[in-house]
Amino acid sequence: MQNDVEKLVDMLSKVFSNTKIKEIMTKPPIVVTQETKIKYVKDIMRIKGISGMPVIAPGFKLVGIISIEDIIRVFENGSFDDRVNKWMTPDPVYLKEDEMLLHFLQVNEDLKYGRYPVVNNDHKVVGVVTKLDILSWMFKKLGYIYVHDERREKALNKKYMSTITGELLDKEGVDFTYKIDYDSVEMIGAAATRLKRFLKERKIQEDIIRKISIATYEAEANVVIHSGSTGNIYCWIKQDHIKVLIEDFGKGIEDLEQAMKEGFTTAPDNIKEKGFGAGMGLPNMKRFSDRMTIVSSIGKGVKVEILYYIK
Amino acid sequence: MKLEKIIKELNLRIISAANNDIEIINGNIGDLLSEVMRTAKPDSVWITYQTHQNIVAVAEVVGIKAIIIPYGLHYSEDTVEKAREHGVYLLESDETAFAVSGKLYGLIS
Repeated sequence: MQNDVEKLVDMLSKVFSNTKIKEIMTKPPIVVTQETKIKYVKDIMRIKGISGMPVIAPGFKLVGIISIEDIIRVFENGSFDDRVNKWMTPDPVYLKEDEMLLHFLQVNEDLKYGRYPVVNNDHKVVGVVTKLDILSWMFKKLGYIYVHDERREKALNKKYMSTITGELLDKEGVDFTYKIDYDSVEMIGAAATRLKRFLKERKIQEDIIRKISIATYEAEANVVIHSGSTGNIYCWIKQDHIKVLIEDFGKGIEDLEQAMKEGFTTAPDNIKEKGFGAGMGLPNMKRFSDRMTIVSSIGKGVKVEILYYIK
Repeated sequence: MKLEKIIKELNLRIISAANNDIEIINGNIGDLLSEVMRTAKPDSVWITYQTHQNIVAVAEVVGIKAIIIPYGLHYSEDTVEKAREHGVYLLESDETAFAVSGKLYGLIS
């Protein structure tokens, strides 16, 4: 029996020494800045169901960490209008994305914090890793136990949590949906024009319809040209706003910051000949929406959410 | 100016027609679709070298009512079909893009 346990531990340490933190960490990370007020931090923690966040300076440089324990201290001694820099723990313990999992276990053995920010070579925050992340990953690898995760439920495409307002939207009770399951450039616009027609029927304001159509067209073009996969469009019409979600299951965006830059494109030449690939797609989506979030990482597709206020 | 009048004044050939009574208040030139989406105004005319069917979707999304291509270019069949479906005017000119846009600008401004 002792032999078996030793063999297992040996095997596991081999796996742990060969797996990098970046393979297990949660990304993109939810972060706050030093100037953020505590009341917003607690809202984010509540909505996202997390117990702590890295604190960043411009450029995503790690400067601190703020946790639910800090929020409790604010509740006892401070004001929710205080800013993060007053209550955060500066210079937190962090991990590097290229370090091995074994290193995390060694660090955590002594310190046992709830979560650790993960940085890249430029000391920019690229993710967060917790004990639960490790456990979930381990169980999946071992195939023994299925870990219930609300995020998995959403990954089964039943619900979507808005990254703008935090509300849980029902994909099945959506007002409009369209499947982007074509990969020919000629078809770009099919979804956007259909959505435009739908919004016209619903008597939405002309200028808002126009903005929604433009942004949706650009998002649709991105799915067809870049994702290498299929996608879906969902539109929810609420009392005072309209939300559109364009998601795809493709290769994802490698560098979001770069992709948002005007003029940057990864479109091939044959696409550019037709007038696509000006590098204005994402900037246009931002320009023609009231609020926009885009969530993506390599291999995990893209989710663009745009919001429009209606009177 | 009424699109009908513009078509007459510029001697444009109608390849695909739609609703006749349109008031054109603006124009745009460009071959980069995203740039056109960014700058075009509703109820406008678009002068371009692009002849593939995506120009119709772009026009519909942004509110361009008519597309003009200059001398020597012709719309593909798919484009014509799509234009009929979506109610976008497809027009051809026998002049250069430079001449057409100059004259159009004079008419509309």
